[in-house]
Amino acid sequence: MNRWSYALARVLQMIPTLLVIMILVFALVRLLPGDPAVAILGDRVTEEAIRRVNEKLGLDRPLHVQFGLFLSRVVQGDLGESVNLKLAVTRLIGDRLPITLFLTAYAGLLAAILAIPMAVLSALRRGTWVDNAIRAVFQIGLSLPVFYVSLQLLTIFGAKLRWFPVGGIGPTFASNFYYLFLPALSLGFYMAAILMRSLRSSILEVLTADYVSFARAKGIRPRLVLTRHVLRNAMISTVTLFGLSIGQLMGGAVITETVFAIPGVGRLMVDAIFGRDYAVVQGLTLAFAVVIMVVFLLTDLAYTVLDPRTKVA
Amino acid sequence: MKRFASLAAALLSLALVGTALAQVRGGTLVFGRYADSLFLDPVLNDANLDIWVLSSLYDALLQPTADGSGVEPGLATDWAFSDDGLTLTLTLRPGTKFADGSDITSEDVKWSLDRARNPDNGIWGFTLASVDSIDAGEGEVTLHLSSQDPTILAALAMFNAAIMPRDLFEAMPGDTDEDKAKAFAEHPIGSGAFKLTSWVPGSRMVVERNPYYWDTGADGEPLPYLDAIQFEIVPDDATRILKLQAGELDVAEFIPLSRMAELSSDRRLTVELYPSTRVNSVLMNNRPALLDGTSNPLSDLRVRQAINYATNKQALIQVVGFGIGQPMYSYMSTTTPYYVAGEGYEYDLERAKSLLAEAGFADGFSVTAIATAGSQDDLALLTALQSMWGDAGIRLVIEQLDNATKTERYRTNDFQMRTAGWTNDINDPSQITSYFAVYETIESLHTGFQSDEIDALFAASQTELDTTLRAGQYARIQEIYMAAAPIVFLYENPYPVAMSSSVKDFVQIPLGVYIFKDAYKAN
Repeated sequence: MNRWSYALARVLQMIPTLLVIMILVFALVRLLPGDPAVAILGDRVTEEAIRRVNEKLGLDRPLHVQFGLFLSRVVQGDLGESVNLKLAVTRLIGDRLPITLFLTAYAGLLAAILAIPMAVLSALRRGTWVDNAIRAVFQIGLSLPVFYVSLQLLTIFGAKLRWFPVGGIGPTFASNFYYLFLPALSLGFYMAAILMRSLRSSILEVLTADYVSFARAKGIRPRLVLTRHVLRNAMISTVTLFGLSIGQLMGGAVITETVFAIPGVGRLMVDAIFGRDYAVVQGLTLAFAVVIMVVFLLTDLAYTVLDPRTKVA
Repeated sequence: MKRFASLAAALLSLALVGTALAQVRGGTLVFGRYADSLFLDPVLNDANLDIWVLSSLYDALLQPTADGSGVEPGLATDWAFSDDGLTLTLTLRPGTKFADGSDITSEDVKWSLDRARNPDNGIWGFTLASVDSIDAGEGEVTLHLSSQDPTILAALAMFNAAIMPRDLFEAMPGDTDEDKAKAFAEHPIGSGAFKLTSWVPGSRMVVERNPYYWDTGADGEPLPYLDAIQFEIVPDDATRILKLQAGELDVAEFIPLSRMAELSSDRRLTVELYPSTRVNSVLMNNRPALLDGTSNPLSDLRVRQAINYATNKQALIQVVGFGIGQPMYSYMSTTTPYYVAGEGYEYDLERAKSLLAEAGFADGFSVTAIATAGSQDDLALLTALQSMWGDAGIRLVIEQLDNATKTERYRTNDFQMRTAGWTNDINDPSQITSYFAVYETIESLHTGFQSDEIDALFAASQTELDTTLRAGQYARIQEIYMAAAPIVFLYENPYPVAMSSSVKDFVQIPLGVYIFKDAYKAN
C-alpha cells in the first residue's frame, strides 16, 4: 500500500468514528440538566413561552426523530442555527475556527522553536549547569497555570512595556503573528515544556545507539550525525506527543482566548454549553473531532516520512 | 462703571465660548464590553447585552430621563391624554429621518408599535398590553387604550417600542417576522444617534454617527459628537482593565468592585459609579414543604424575619461590595419611582435568636442555597452569609449549579434559597412589583409568597392615573412586602465603569442603558 491509499483508508476510517462522536454528543447535551428554552428565556420565563420555544426548535419531538433530522442536515452541510446568536452554526464555525487553528498552530510552532534546540543543547550538555538551567525553566513552564502566565505576559509586555497589544486580534491575517504572539507564547510554553522533556530523553537514548556510534566511527561530521541520525530518530516519539498535544492545546485555547480576548471557538464553546445552545455544542464538537482526527492523520503520515520503515498497513 | 460692564461682558462671552468649545467633535470611542450583543432586534431580544446598546441604534417616541424619574421627548415632541385617559395622542417631531435618509412616517410608528405589542413577538409585549389599536395620522399617532394605563409613557420610552422602517423590514427575506428580524438585525437601520457599520460577532462592533439624527448638541450642531464607537469584546476582567490602562480602550464596563479603589487613584482614569436599579437579594421558598416533601422552616414568618435580622447588610457591603452599595429597605431600588424606605431589618442578632426560639428553632436549623457555579460574587456573598447566620444557629449549605440547571430548579420551585439580582427595564415600579410581589406573574419570583392585599393594590395601581393615589398604593405594597419578608433584603449596587479621563458626558442610566449621544473625547 502506498502512502496515498493509506491516507485514503484512514480518511474512510474516520466516518464511523465521527458517527459515534455525533451520537455521544447528541446524547450528552440532552442529558445535561436544564431546559434550553429556560436557558434562552432566563428568569422571566413563562410556561407558554417555553412551549413556544420548544416547538420552534423541534425539541418537543421524540429523540430519535431529532437525531435523524440532525444527521440528515449534517450530511447536507447544515449544522443548524444557534438559538442564542441567531446565526447558522456553520457560519459561526467558519468565522471563529480559523483564528483558533491559527493560534494553535502558532503555539505549536513556537513550542517547536523553543523545544528542539533546547532539548538538543540540554541532551548534549547532560548533567552540566546548562542542562539543569534549561530543565528548571521548562519545569516552571509546566507548573504554572496558563492563565497566570498569560496575565503576567500581558501585564509586562502589553500594559507596561507596550511591546505587544493587550489582547485582541489584528486587522489582517498576517498582523496576527504580532497580535497573537503573547497568547501563542503562553500556550506554546507549556507545550514546549512537555516536548523538551520527551525529546531530551529520546536524544539521550539514541545517542547511545549502535548506529550512532557507527556513524561517528565512519568519520561523519558531528553536526550531520546529530541532524541525520540522532534527531531524526529521536523525533518519532516527539511527533506523536506533538500530535496529541494539539488536542490539548485546543482545549487550553478556551482559557487563553478568554484572557486575551480572542474571538475563537473555545470561548464560543463555553458560552454554548452554559447557554444550552445544542446546535452550537454539537457542531463545534464535530468540528473539533474532525480537526483532531486530521492532526492524528498527519502525525501518522509524518512517521512515514521520518522513518521509511514504518509499515503503512 | 462702564468699564466694569464691558469687563463683565467680556468675561461672560469668554464663559460662553468656554462652554461652546467644551464639547469636542469627532473621534472614535473604544468601549470594552465583557460580552457581545446577541441579537439587535428591539422586540425579539431578551438580554441586557442587547438592551443596553439598542437605544443607540434605535430611537423611540419618548426617552427615559437620565435620572430614571420620568420620560422626555424623543421622536415625539408632545403628548396628551384625552379626558377619560383612554386616548393618547403623540405629536411626531417634524422632518425626522432614519439612518438611511428615508423619512420616518406615522405609518412606520404605527407598524413598529403594533409589532412590539403583538404577544407572539418576544417577551416584552406585556408592556404595551393596554393598547387596543393605533391610528396613524398626519404628523401624529393616536393610541386607543382598553383601560387607563399609568405606565404607558414609560413603556413608550422602552427599547422594545423603538421605531423601525416598515418597508425596509418587510422587504427582508424570510416568511416569518422572526426570519425577517434576523436578516434586518444584521444591518439594522433605526433612527438612533448611531448606526451599525460593521460587526464581527464575539469580537468587535463598530457604530458610526447617524448624520440624520434629530437632536442637537450644546454647539447647536447635530448630535452625536463622536464619529464612531468601537465596541471591543474583552471577556476577562483583568485584561479589560489592562487594556484600559494601556490606552487601548477608552471605556471599560463591569469593573470588579475590588478594583475600583485602585483604579480611582490612577490620574489618567475616571471611575464612575452610575446609580442603578440593580438590587441583590436572597430568595426564600415560603412554602410549608419543599418540592421533595421535606418540611420547610422558611414558611414561618418569624424564621424569615430572623434571617433578615441576622443579616448584617453593612458588613456585606464592606466584604462583598468593597464598600460600594447601599442597604435595601424595599424590594425595589432607591432609583425606582415611588420607592419608599421601609422599617428595614437592621442587624440585630439577639432579636434573630429570640424569633428563632419563638418559632421552635432555638437550636437552629439547616438551609440550602443554590448558587451559580464559578460565580465569585455568589460565593463571596454566600460564604459571608454562612458565617453571619451561623452566629444565629442557622447552618447554610451552599449548592453550586451551572446557570441553566439553577434556572430550571428555580422555575420548578425546586429550591430553598437562591441568590437573585434584578435590574428594571422600565422607569416604573410595575415591572419589578409584578415579578417580586404579585403571585400571578411567576409566583412572586417563585418564592410562593402571596398577599391578597398586594394583588388587589397592584391591579388597582395598573389603571390609576392619579400619581398621589398610585404612590400611596405602592407605599402600602412595599410596607406589606417588607413585613412579610419573602426574601432576604441585601443591598443595591451601582454600575461600575472606568474610563480614560478624556471621556466626558458618557452616561449609564439606572435601567443600565448606555447613552452615547452626548459623549465626547476631550483633547
